[in-house]
Amino acid sequence: MINRIIKLNKEVLGLNRRNQEYVRPYNSPSSKAIADNKIYTKRVLKKELIQTPEVYKLIRTKKQLQFLDWDSLPKSFVIKPNQGTGGNGIIVFYGKKKGKMEWIRPNGTTMNQRDIILHIENILDGRFSMGAKNDIAIIEERVKTDSLLKQYSYKGVPDIRIICFNQVPVMAMLRLPTKRSNGTANLHSGAICTGIDIGTGITTYSMHNKPHTVFSDTYELIESTMDLKTNLPLSGIQIPSWNSLLEIALKCQKASGLGYIGVDIALDAEKGPVVFEVNARPGLGIQVANQAGLRWRLEKIKDVKIKSIKHGIRVAKNLFGGEIEESIEAISGRKVLNIVERIYIYDKSADLTKLEKYKETKRQLVKAYMDTGVLTSRIDSKLANRIGYLSAHKEFAKLGIPNKFENFSDAQEYIDKNEKSISESTQIKRLAKIVEEGVVKVRPVFDIPIKISDKIKITEFVSTESSDILQPIILGKADLTGYLIDTSNTF
Amino acid sequence: MFETSELTKWIIEHGVSQMVLEILISMCVVSTIVSIARYVIGNKTYGIYAPIILAIAYSYTGLKYGLAITLVVIITSLLSYSILKKIRMHYITRIATNYTILSIFLVAFFILIDSFGLGLENMSNIPPLAFICIAALSDFFIKQYIKKSFKGSIVTLLGTILVAIFGWFVITRNFVSEYILNNLWTIPLLVVINILLGMFKGLRIKDLFRFRLIGKEDDK
Repeated sequence: MINRIIKLNKEVLGLNRRNQEYVRPYNSPSSKAIADNKIYTKRVLKKELIQTPEVYKLIRTKKQLQFLDWDSLPKSFVIKPNQGTGGNGIIVFYGKKKGKMEWIRPNGTTMNQRDIILHIENILDGRFSMGAKNDIAIIEERVKTDSLLKQYSYKGVPDIRIICFNQVPVMAMLRLPTKRSNGTANLHSGAICTGIDIGTGITTYSMHNKPHTVFSDTYELIESTMDLKTNLPLSGIQIPSWNSLLEIALKCQKASGLGYIGVDIALDAEKGPVVFEVNARPGLGIQVANQAGLRWRLEKIKDVKIKSIKHGIRVAKNLFGGEIEESIEAISGRKVLNIVERIYIYDKSADLTKLEKYKETKRQLVKAYMDTGVLTSRIDSKLANRIGYLSAHKEFAKLGIPNKFENFSDAQEYIDKNEKSISESTQIKRLAKIVEEGVVKVRPVFDIPIKISDKIKITEFVSTESSDILQPIILGKADLTGYLIDTSNTF
Repeated sequence: MFETSELTKWIIEHGVSQMVLEILISMCVVSTIVSIARYVIGNKTYGIYAPIILAIAYSYTGLKYGLAITLVVIITSLLSYSILKKIRMHYITRIATNYTILSIFLVAFFILIDSFGLGLENMSNIPPLAFICIAALSDFFIKQYIKKSFKGSIVTLLGTILVAIFGWFVITRNFVSEYILNNLWTIPLLVVINILLGMFKGLRIKDLFRFRLIGKEDDK
C-alpha cells in the first residue's frame, strides 16, 4: 500500500504540483489571459494560420442580442461563453425545425428562440464565466466530425487533447461524446476519454467518469463505446493526420506563450484539424486514460533544449512513444515485435543450463527479420559458422546430399531414407527441405539459443546459403507464436 | 485550565474584548483547517470564507440547530430558484427575492420548531448575525448550482459543511480555545503551517483515490 502511494507520487502529477511547478512558473498572466479568452485565442492562432471554428456572431450586449438577425444564422451552430470554463454554457445545435424558430440539440430536445435568448442573457451576465464577470456570447460554426471518429461518438464532436510542455507533446487523449455527456466532449459530463500513444497516434486505454457516484472524479476503465447502436472497441484506433496534430499543438503553444498547455483539436470532415481552445490549466484525468503519469514525463523534458517543432515531436516520439505496444501486450497478452528486431544469438559452446544466469556467455547481437511466410526460422550459414557450427556444416557436407531436388516430395523422400544416418549426428538436429534461390534443397537444422524480447529460447534454425536472405536471421512462423508484428517500425 | 498569559492580559486591557480575540483565533484555526482540507485531503469548499463563517455560526447556534437551519436554507434556496428561473428577471433581483423568501421560511421554521417544543432556549442570546451567516450559504450554493451542476454544488456544499463541522468541533473545545488564547505564539505557528501547506506539492488524498487506476493495467 505504502509502496503504491510512493510509486504514484513519483509518477503521477497531482493538482498541487501542477499548479506550483508548471502552471504558475511557466504560464505567465498574459498567456493565461489569451487561453481564458476564446476570442483572443482565435485572433492569436489565426496569425499562425491555425484553423479555429468560424465565428458567425459575437454578442456583447443585450441590445445586440435584441437586434440579432436569426435568419442569417445557419441551421447548425454552437453558442459558447467567451470566458467559460469546463464546457459550461456551451450549447450545440444540430439543425432547425422546419418553419419554426426552434433548434435541435444533440439529445433530440429543442430550444426555441426565447430559450436561446435567455441562455445568451445568462452568458452575458457572466453565469458561466470565470469570476462571474460580464461576458461575451460567441455564436460559431459547428465542426462536422471526421467520418472515422464519428462512428465512435454519440452525436457531438470528438476532440483530441494534447498536453505540451517545453515545446514537446507530452501526453494526448481522444475525448468522445456520449449520450450521457449530451454531445459534449467533457470528461466530467460523461464523455469517454481514450489515451493516445504519442509515438503512433493509436488509441490505448479508455475510461469514463463513473455514473451515479457522489464524487465527480471517480473513473472506470472501459474497453468499448457504450451507447451506440453497435458498440466498437476503443483501443487501436489510428488518429488521422497524427503528426500534423502534434505540429498544430506545438504551434499553439508557441503562439500563446503558454509553457504548459492543453490544446483541444477537432478533426473537421472538410477543413481538417480545427483548434477548439487552448487550456492554461489542463485537467489531470488524461493520466488515467493513458495509464501513465505526467510527472516523470514532464521532469524528463524540463531541461531539454528544443530547437524546432520537428525536434520537439522527435523527442516526444522517442521518449514517450511505445505505450501502444505495452497496452496491446496488456490487452492481448502478446508482445509486439518490430519487423526487423535486434536479437542475441548464443555460441554453440555456450552452456545452455547457465544461459540465464551468466550475462557474459558468448553471444552476438544480430538483426532478425520477422517472416510469417516461412515456417522454420533460418540462419545464414556464415553466421552459423561464426558461432561454432563450422564442424556441423562439414559433417553435413560429408553426407553427400544432392545439391538440388526436382520437387519437395523428392526431397522429403531423400530425408526419410537418410533419417537414420542423420540421427547418429550429434550436431545436426534434423534435415529440412527448403527453397533456396528458386531451387529445392535439403539443408541441416540446428538448435540454437536466442534471446528475443528479454526471453531466452532454443530455436530451430535451418542453415541457408542463400545470397538473397534479407538479414542473417529470419524468424519464421513457428517461433513467432505469441507475438504481434509491428510492420511500421524497425527496432 | 490555563493561566492567562501576560500578552493576552495586555491585549484585553488595551481594548480588545476577549470575545473578539476568541473569534479572531477561531478564524485563524478554521482557515488552517480549510487549507489542510483543500491541499492535503482535496476537499472542495465554497472558498475559504463560507466554511469559516459557518463554523463560527455553528459555535453560536449549536451544531444541531445550525445544521437544521443550513438544511432549511438549502431547501428553500433550491425551491425558490427553481420557481424563479421560470420568470425572466435580472440576476440580483432574483437573489434578492430568494433572500426574502428565505427569511420568511426561516421565521416559519423557528415558529414550527417552537410549536413542537424543540426551540432553542437561549435563542435570544444568539447573535442574529449567526443566522445571516448561515443564510449567506444560499448565495454560494445557487451560484455554484447555476454554473456547474446540481450534483457538483451538492458535493461542494457537503465538503463545506464537513469542514465547518470539523472547524466547529475544534473551536468549541474549551482546552483548544483556552490554550491558544493563552499561548498566542501559536498564531504565528499557524502562519508557518499555512506557508508550508502553500508549498506542498505532493498528491492530495483525493488525488490518490482519483488516480488509483493508473498502473493497474500493468499490474495485471
